[in-house]
Amino acid sequence: MQLTLLKEHQLLEGIAANDRKITEQVYRDNYKQVQAWVQTRGGSADDGADVFQEAMTILFQKAQNEEFRLSCKIGTYLVAVAKYIWYKKLQQQNRRPDFTPFDSGDETSNDKYAYEDDLKIQVEREQHFEQLNIAMESLGEPCRSLLKAFYNEDKSMQDIASLFGYTNPDNAKTQKYKCLTRLKKLFYAQVHK
Amino acid sequence: MHTGNNNIWELAEAYAQHKLNTFELQSLEQRLAADTHFATEFQDAVNLLHSLEQHAAQKQFQASLYNIQQQIQNEAAQKPKKIALQWHYARTAAIAASVAILASLGTSFWNNKHQASSSKYSELKKVRNEIEGIKLSQNRIIKDLDNKANKPAIENKYSGTGFALSNDGYVVTNYHVTEGADSVYIQTRDGNYYKAFMVSFDANTDLAILKVESKKFKFSKQGGLPYSFATGKSNLGERVFTLGYPQDEVVYSEGYISSKNGYLGDSMQYRLELPAEPGQSGAPVLDANGTVVAIVTGKDSKSLSTTYAVSSKTMLHMLASLPQSIALPKANKLGRLNRTQQIEKIQDFTCVVNVYK
Repeated sequence: MQLTLLKEHQLLEGIAANDRKITEQVYRDNYKQVQAWVQTRGGSADDGADVFQEAMTILFQKAQNEEFRLSCKIGTYLVAVAKYIWYKKLQQQNRRPDFTPFDSGDETSNDKYAYEDDLKIQVEREQHFEQLNIAMESLGEPCRSLLKAFYNEDKSMQDIASLFGYTNPDNAKTQKYKCLTRLKKLFYAQVHK
Repeated sequence: MHTGNNNIWELAEAYAQHKLNTFELQSLEQRLAADTHFATEFQDAVNLLHSLEQHAAQKQFQASLYNIQQQIQNEAAQKPKKIALQWHYARTAAIAASVAILASLGTSFWNNKHQASSSKYSELKKVRNEIEGIKLSQNRIIKDLDNKANKPAIENKYSGTGFALSNDGYVVTNYHVTEGADSVYIQTRDGNYYKAFMVSFDANTDLAILKVESKKFKFSKQGGLPYSFATGKSNLGERVFTLGYPQDEVVYSEGYISSKNGYLGDSMQYRLELPAEPGQSGAPVLDANGTVVAIVTGKDSKSLSTTYAVSSKTMLHMLASLPQSIALPKANKLGRLNRTQQIEKIQDFTCVVNVYK
C-alpha cells in the first residue's frame, strides 16, 4: 500500500506502534511548518526541531489509547500543540511571548483547553518517568542492568540468563521478580514522599 | 517453589499483557475484593509494570524521532558537498573519477583572513582535505597550484578521531588524518590537549599510530582499556557501533557489517552500513560486546551511510611489526554492560586528533 493513501487513523496506529516508515512520513510532512513558525517567534532551527519532537511524543502517548481519535487532522494537531509548547517555553524563560499560541483564529476555546491538558499530562508523565529513573538508578547491580536489559533492550529471559550467568531462564525470572519488588519499594517510597 | 512475591508479579505481568482468561480474571477479582492489602500491592505492581513499558516505548519512539531528524539534516548537509565534488570534476578531470567514489572523513577549519585573495587556493585545499590520501597525481596538481598561489598565510587545522591502544598514550587513527602534519595534538574527553608524535604509519592500510609525548599521561586513572581487539574477522550482518568526533561533542552511531570486504573488495577492510560524518575518520567500530572490530576510514560519497573501516586484524598485524611492544588490553570489560554504560566507559579512551599543517 502506498503510504500517502493511508488514512489518518492508520497513521495514528503506526505512530503508536513506533512504525518507522509511518513516523518518518508524518515527521517529514509536518516538521518544516513547525520549525519555520518557531523561527519567526524567537527560536532557532534546533528549538523548532525540539518542539516538534515534543509534540510528536505527546501524539505518540495519546495514540497509545486505542480509543483515541483526533477531532482534526494530525498535522493541525501537531502544529497547535507545538505552538502551545513553544509559548509555554518562552513564558518559563521569562521571555514574554508577544503572541498567543492561538493566533490563527480557527481554534475553538474547547481546543485550547484540550491542548493545555495534553501538555500538562505529558509534563506529569515525564515527572513520573523521572522518578522511575531515580528509583532505577538507586537500585544497584545486577538489578539495574537486568531490568534495563528486559524492558529497554528487549532481551528475552533466555538471553538475560546467559548474559547474567543464571543457569536457566526460570532462575533469571525469579531474580527479575526480586528486582521488581525492590524497584517497587524504592519507587513508591519516592512517590508517596 | 513460587514465593508469594513471585506470584504477585507473575499475575501482574499476565494481567498487564491481557493474558488472563475469563476464569483467571474472575478469581483475581474475587481476591482483590476480599484482600485489600493484596489489592494495593497488586495495583502498585501493575502500575509499575505499565510505567516501565511506557517509559521504554517512549524512549524508543524518541530515538526514532532523533534518528529521523539526523537523517533530514544529513540530507541537507549532503547537498553542498556534492556540488563541491562536481566543481572539482569539471576542473581536474584527471583525478575526479577516483575522487567521486571515496570521500575521506576529516573536518577542516579555516582561518578566513586571506580568503578573498586566495579563494582558488582554499577551494582546492578544501577539496584536498575531503579526498585526502587517495591519489598521488592529485597531490602533484595541488602542489602546482600551491606554488602559483603565493603561499597565503592560512593556518589550517584538520581533525579526525583517535582511540587508545593502551592507557599510557598509544593512539590509533587514520594515516590520512595525520598526513603532512607539522604537529599533532590529541584532545581527550576532559578537554585537555596533549602533544603527540607519530610512531608509525602505513598509507596502504590508512593507519597511523601516535604516542602522547608526556610520560605521565594516562587516558584514565581508573584502570586500563575497557575494550579488547578482535583478532579475526567478524561476521556479515554483525551489529556494530562507533563513537567519533565530527564536532566538539562525541557522536554515537550504529549500524551493521554489510560486507566482509571493503572499498573495491579490499580484504583488509569491512564495508559497513553505518552513518558517519566528516571528522569520524579513525573512530573505533565496536561489536555488541564492546570488542573493537575495525577503524573507520572513509565513506562512499554517493551513499548516506555506506562507510569503510580497516579491520582490527590488520591493525594488530601492523602493531606486531613495530619495534616497541604496546601493552594491549587482554580482557574485555564491556560484555555485560548495556549500551549507555559501554559508551560511558569507551568515551574516556577516545579523543579528537588535531593536526596542524
